Amino acid sequence: MAKPAVDSKVGEGGLGSFSAFYSHIVGRRAPRASSGKLSRGPFFLPQLIPALLLVVYGSVVIYTASLTIADASFVRHLVGVAMGAAGALAIWHYDYRAFANMSKALLITDAVLMLLPSVPGLGYSALGMTGWIKIPLIGMTFQPSELAKLVTIYLMASLGAEYNGRIETLRDYVKLCAILCIPFGLIMTQPDLGTGLIILVTGAAIIICSGAKRTWVLVTIALIVVGAALIVATSLTDGLPHLLKQYQLKRLIVFVDPSVDPAGDGYNLQQAKIAVGSGGFFGKGFGNATQAGSGFLPEAHTDFVFALLSEEFGFVGAVALLALFGAMIFTTVGMAQRIDAPFGKLVLAGVATMWSFQLLQNVGMCIGIMPITGIPLPFISFGSSSMLAQMTAIGMVQSVWHHRPKAA
Amino acid sequence: MSPIIVIIIVLAVILVALIAIFLLFGRGGSRFTFDIGGAAPTAAGGSDMSTETGFKTRLFGLDVFAGSIIAVLLGKLWTMQLVSSDEYSAQAESNRTRTISVDAPRGRILDRNGVELVNNRASLTVAAKSDVVQDEVEMQLLGNLIGMPKMAVKRKIENSSDGAQSLRTVAVDVSRRVVAYIGEHPYVFEGVSVEQKTQRHYPQGNLAAHVLGYVGTVSSEQLDASKKSDSEAAISYSSGDIVGQAGVEYQYESVLQGVKGEQTVYVDASGAVLSYSGSVEARSGSDIVLTLDSKIQSAAEESLQSWIKKRHESGAPDCYGGAAIAMDVTNGEVLAMASAPTFSPSVFVGGVSSDDWNQLSSESAHNPLLNRAVSGQYPSASTIKPLSTFAALDYGIANTGSTYNCTGYWTGFGSGFGQYCWQRSGHGLMTLQTGITFSCDVVFYEIGKGFFYSDTPNGLQDTFRKWGLGSKSGIDLPAEASGRVPDADWKWNYFTSSDDTARSWQGGDNTNLVIGQGDILVTPLQMLCAYAGIATGGTIWRPHVLKGVKAAVGDGSSVDYKTEVARTADEDSSYMDLVHRGLVGVVYEESESQAVHFTNMSVKVAGKTGSAQTSTEQPTGWFIAYAPADDPKYVVGCVMESSGFGSEGALYVVRDILGALYDQPDTAAATGGSAD
Repeated sequence: MAKPAVDSKVGEGGLGSFSAFYSHIVGRRAPRASSGKLSRGPFFLPQLIPALLLVVYGSVVIYTASLTIADASFVRHLVGVAMGAAGALAIWHYDYRAFANMSKALLITDAVLMLLPSVPGLGYSALGMTGWIKIPLIGMTFQPSELAKLVTIYLMASLGAEYNGRIETLRDYVKLCAILCIPFGLIMTQPDLGTGLIILVTGAAIIICSGAKRTWVLVTIALIVVGAALIVATSLTDGLPHLLKQYQLKRLIVFVDPSVDPAGDGYNLQQAKIAVGSGGFFGKGFGNATQAGSGFLPEAHTDFVFALLSEEFGFVGAVALLALFGAMIFTTVGMAQRIDAPFGKLVLAGVATMWSFQLLQNVGMCIGIMPITGIPLPFISFGSSSMLAQMTAIGMVQSVWHHRPKAA
Repeated sequence: MSPIIVIIIVLAVILVALIAIFLLFGRGGSRFTFDIGGAAPTAAGGSDMSTETGFKTRLFGLDVFAGSIIAVLLGKLWTMQLVSSDEYSAQAESNRTRTISVDAPRGRILDRNGVELVNNRASLTVAAKSDVVQDEVEMQLLGNLIGMPKMAVKRKIENSSDGAQSLRTVAVDVSRRVVAYIGEHPYVFEGVSVEQKTQRHYPQGNLAAHVLGYVGTVSSEQLDASKKSDSEAAISYSSGDIVGQAGVEYQYESVLQGVKGEQTVYVDASGAVLSYSGSVEARSGSDIVLTLDSKIQSAAEESLQSWIKKRHESGAPDCYGGAAIAMDVTNGEVLAMASAPTFSPSVFVGGVSSDDWNQLSSESAHNPLLNRAVSGQYPSASTIKPLSTFAALDYGIANTGSTYNCTGYWTGFGSGFGQYCWQRSGHGLMTLQTGITFSCDVVFYEIGKGFFYSDTPNGLQDTFRKWGLGSKSGIDLPAEASGRVPDADWKWNYFTSSDDTARSWQGGDNTNLVIGQGDILVTPLQMLCAYAGIATGGTIWRPHVLKGVKAAVGDGSSVDYKTEVARTADEDSSYMDLVHRGLVGVVYEESESQAVHFTNMSVKVAGKTGSAQTSTEQPTGWFIAYAPADDPKYVVGCVMESSGFGSEGALYVVRDILGALYDQPDTAAATGGSAD
């Protein structure tokens, strides 16, 4: 009976009112009274619970990984979770609305985060890119671009919210797109194509939700597609400037045709697919992953952690993961529907897009329907930077709820 | 990368983009452009309800976006984890299991008394990966450790005769100290490993090297052949296997080669063994018992080699090679088969070095790998005279009472075509029997002339073929030669560049053929078989070196070689007696110096010398004999290349072998006869 208040909330939220929970998922403008206590408090439990369950799920997966993979330290994972919880609570407590008027400060913060790894003595290179900083004294490495994703969401949301749901002029639309190109361009200097794509897609979703005209968006997408095709085509043709390096091209193509790089990415992809497929319906069981456990599956605790999860827990485990992600994303969008504040809506839309796209990119990579990029699976992949950023994103979502306009 | 891939990528990107657009804007598009009525944009917290519908639609689009992602992922996971799961499981299983083959020891090879001629022994071998050749320091250290110059180490590693991918054997039979040192310094000797192998071992040294043959790494041709074969019994080889390459090792490969065992292991991605699974034990090959008697064999080899050396050093400088065979005429068992010069089969163990190979195949080494007993082809010389006698009697060219006068010079084809008897002083009055005994050429010139003008001009050749010349004896050894019995057709087709007269069969060809000179070629074994037939009265057993096969497991019960009659040469018994008496006469009557070597034996011997004209100064000498003359048991023959008359060398080798067979060594001094 030490903490009665917390206990009762969890009880009600998790089990008590499933119909109310469902109505949040679909985002119906259900009679507000029916959502009752769930949405009355400082936390929006239908979103928070699946998010926290994902953190728990991730810890279980990393624990099994730590049994066979020396690099997967369960303790370090828990430290990351603790750091993430601290970050989430801090951002939840802070009134997010203050960010709405801080566009310039956000842009500068974003740029600083992106450029930190390039500072001599601070930066740290690995896997062919300069995306990490080594924190002095502690010696820990940290990937600032993970936090930059969140800053970019605030930045784009603060700009988009100004139009209150409708961008009137092409000039404004172009301005928004141009600003989005700043963080994207900076991240590409590292170069980190994976994080760059997340920033691009997330920012684009915020711009679209801000009320961009359909024709503008279509033309922009068409331009991007043509531009991308041109870059790939010139890089493939001898004599023309190669904007993409050969290994980048291989990664783009290898998921279509693993034989272009049978020793490197093609091998990794093949091993990941074998891990996922051999998991079957129920999986091989806790700690019995032969693909991950015997070293056939590379990066089994980081980028390819979904393959490890699928091998051990099978289709059942994979569906559970997708269900938790679905519940978290849909309730986040549902919150956006209910918040009467464009800035809040756009922040939630940005976070939901980020999770959706990272899910698609990471799981899709493991099962061979997306190119291989080094994007972690939120809440599951081993890595403190990602865990800090993703849990802070939960705090961002809950913060919007916490500081919602109380008028309604 | 092909343009097709580029097009596929571009199309895929466009498709995904279009789907995304439809998902985002497909529904309620008309409401998307809802006019908000010019309300001034406000910062956060704006509460203008007119924007609600637009936000709602767009956020619903976001739901559809997320929902589609989850649906697509679920669909793909369904096919992978439920539909094709078995396929992936099989791949995961084959990923982590490896099958290591365990070599089976080859069967041993024993002589007829159970003496081991070839067995196996364990040997510690240092092997290196081919890329070690790039590390000069490592090669230097390895050389120092093994006690081998660096260049030798380098040559061993560069030798890819065992296959490009296989480990290169650097040294065999290294000491425990070397093994321990390499094991303790894995970083210094990266790519170097120590393997325990069973290797062929020859307890009797080079004894019977030509019969035993040698082993070597399976060749790519043998590999292909074993893969193509559909037969169940055929052994399927894999690269690097050791197989018989010559002699009995080759002939009875399927018996000697065991069945490899298999060990299934679980490995990790780097190939390190994690745990062991099921295994199938290797089954060693069966032991083979040969008809050879190592005592007779070593007597034959020693005598042959010492007489070649003697002849080479005195009077016959071109004498380097020869062959000697001893065979049981009653069943075809070969008791001894020697060929000179010989080689050491142990140089092939663990892979023959290119130096050794070049040495063995060089001109100056006189083909030591050639088994002259079955593959050497020589003019038969006078040893063919008994067969010519049969031909003459069979075809009525002569009868048992025919007489001839030898003046030493014969002009049967006219004074322009005169020919000498080998004994130019002449033999005087001769019969067929004394013609054999004294090897009188004139007697046989008459026979040759008789055939030339008869209506059976091929009677000589047909008789020779009846006795087995011109075809393989059928011995169970590889690379047997057929020899050549020349006739008119052969000559016409062989000398195609000559004019018609030179190409056609002449009387001189017949007089050459009838005394075994000219174009006729026989192998020592063929002649031996013919004499075995004379000894038995016409029955020629198939010569063989296999006596039986011992079962590898159990009581060692054996399967015996099934002896069979290879051919029967029917001759009238009175003809047989005539020839037989003639051959006994050769040994005891032709010359005193010959006879003394046989009168000191308790058994009676019959035989025939021969001296085949060669391109060198000295003829190739022959001697073939069988004993006991009254009830023959053994036939023994010897050929010595460019050694002079048969009585100058070959005869002594045969006598030494007979001495070994009857335990009655030759006590008479070799005075060096000069009779053909």
